[in-house]
Amino acid sequence: MYCVKCGVRLQEGVKACPLCGTPVWCPEAGERAPAAPTYSDRYPEYSRQKRLTVMASLTVTLLAAMIACFTIAMNTTGRMGWSFYVIAGTSAFYFVFLLPFWFRRPHPMIFVPVSFVSICLLLLAISAYTGGRWFLSFAFPLTAILAVLTIGAVALFRYVKKGTIFITGGLLIALGGSCMLAELFQHLTFHTPLFTWSLYAASVFCLFGGFLILAGIVRPLREHLERKFFI
Amino acid sequence: MGDGRTSKLWMPLDNAALIFPAIRRRNWNNVFRQSVTLKEDIDPAVLQRAVNELMPRFPSFYLRLRRGVFWYYLEEVTAPPQVQEDYAYPLTFMTSKEMSRCCLRVLYYRNRIAVEFFHVLSDGGGAMTYLKTLTARYLSLRWGVDVPATDGVLDIHEPPATEELEDSFQRYAADHPAYCPEAEAYRLPGKRELGRFMRLVTGVIPGDALHALAHRCGCTVTVLLAAVMAECVIALQNEHVPKKRQKPVKITVPVDLRRLFPSRTLRNFALAVNPGVDPRLGTYTLEELCAAFTHQLAAEITPQRMAGRIAQNVEPQKNKLLKAVPIFLKTPVMRAVYDRRGERLGCLNVSNLGVQKLPAAMAPYVARMEFIIGVQYSYPNNCSVVTANGVTLVNMIRSIESSELERRFFSRLVELGVPVSIETNE
Repeated sequence: MYCVKCGVRLQEGVKACPLCGTPVWCPEAGERAPAAPTYSDRYPEYSRQKRLTVMASLTVTLLAAMIACFTIAMNTTGRMGWSFYVIAGTSAFYFVFLLPFWFRRPHPMIFVPVSFVSICLLLLAISAYTGGRWFLSFAFPLTAILAVLTIGAVALFRYVKKGTIFITGGLLIALGGSCMLAELFQHLTFHTPLFTWSLYAASVFCLFGGFLILAGIVRPLREHLERKFFI
Repeated sequence: MGDGRTSKLWMPLDNAALIFPAIRRRNWNNVFRQSVTLKEDIDPAVLQRAVNELMPRFPSFYLRLRRGVFWYYLEEVTAPPQVQEDYAYPLTFMTSKEMSRCCLRVLYYRNRIAVEFFHVLSDGGGAMTYLKTLTARYLSLRWGVDVPATDGVLDIHEPPATEELEDSFQRYAADHPAYCPEAEAYRLPGKRELGRFMRLVTGVIPGDALHALAHRCGCTVTVLLAAVMAECVIALQNEHVPKKRQKPVKITVPVDLRRLFPSRTLRNFALAVNPGVDPRLGTYTLEELCAAFTHQLAAEITPQRMAGRIAQNVEPQKNKLLKAVPIFLKTPVMRAVYDRRGERLGCLNVSNLGVQKLPAAMAPYVARMEFIIGVQYSYPNNCSVVTANGVTLVNMIRSIESSELERRFFSRLVELGVPVSIETNE
């Protein structure tokens, strides 16, 4: 039997060409015995269970540690006290670092936002617990800016195949701008002097970012850098 | 190397093997397979006996991977590997746990004996010696065939020679490294499928027909297959990438250095060469591709050039500062360098083991021999070739669904007048 499209000879009994998918037409096909399969039907068993077991035991251990801290704090001081920080911190750690490992292929566009939401909630809880007035005017906007930057970076590097140098340059400039915004929020919340340290950070980031964009535009410069920094 | 008999035998990885433990991933590593199909069904008990009996003769194959503070190393296994029934697809993922037991896997299915090697143990040339000797021993135990120690079969009653266990890269490195900056090659399209299933298409081709075509084109069979493959990759790139953004199309051709240097090692002793053309410079006929590849390979595959390239690879291994860096720091750096340079210099491999001669007493029992390399981490297709008993088997493996490259490649061979029979594992 031959494939009418590719011209290759096929194994007896196949219904379509494995290369191009063209159906095989052979009047005598029913009379001939199909070729024996070249491989067995045995599949390897990979230990997915092992990862899930490790995750389950880690979850139980952390949960037990949190309950133990809470119980000790309540028994000794009669209130939550220090155990609040342990419980809140451990929960945020769990959501940021451990939760993705429950999944075989964790998608960064889901887990990066989840991480920032949990960090935001941790800061809100600490702010509320300590009676601080810094969450809405400082912690929340700062976390939101960092979240937008990180999610943007992940999305761009993941879905845009070209222009890595431009993306990196743009992100560095945005990071410089974020430093200035961070100091602005710091000034509004804690009444510190405006734009002292952030100017230095922003200028360094913008300088590097601008240089990368320039290198992206000027091809000879980019090629010179590639030659110099070739590993 | 350890003294062997008073304590467990161990050996450091050879120069080429150093990279393989560092670059393995959760779902990928560098394993290759060689198999022999006999005319009668395999008896697993006899095969197990043959595997056990080969252990003293091939100490560099019965090893497990261990992690030291500064380097990985190989240590003698406590017991030879158990033969197992073959899986539904070749080169099933070899887990770290499995490697810590033995870096070698012996499989059987119907009338086929297959051996899968983690690349730290050996290359195709060394592995073929093991497979031929294993087959000879199996035939001797099963049918009483007396196979002489010729044509790549070793005498299992002899002790292993020191040269068989040496790292020949260290011996044949030139005094001065030959640096060879290379352009990045086009990366074949296709997204890796979920799961670890490897799709295999085997082209069964009469060796004479392929050889005659190569003769007509004025090149070797390896060059012919690489040129046909390059032609197909160029066509694929034309379909997917606008001319201005195209990259060179290069085919990675592993070179067995035993043919250039008088080495008897059974460990890794091969280097890859990447002949190619730049499609932005114009179009190429098959004859032009064959001529370009022939000249590029001839210029590169000389003892002097190869010794210089070996020296380039050996240099960092000898650097005292790098030696003292702990392995947990070395590994990510090696992986990053490999990702940046190692896999980007070729579109895919065309690895040809050449014509494998079999001892006259063994040949009547052998139906065919196969050689399969796995896909690389970042590119989805690979091709391996071996000829035995007058039949050439071209194995094209892929981790993607589309069989476009295979279709183009085998159809082109048919167009050129070579009859091709296709087998798959799907």
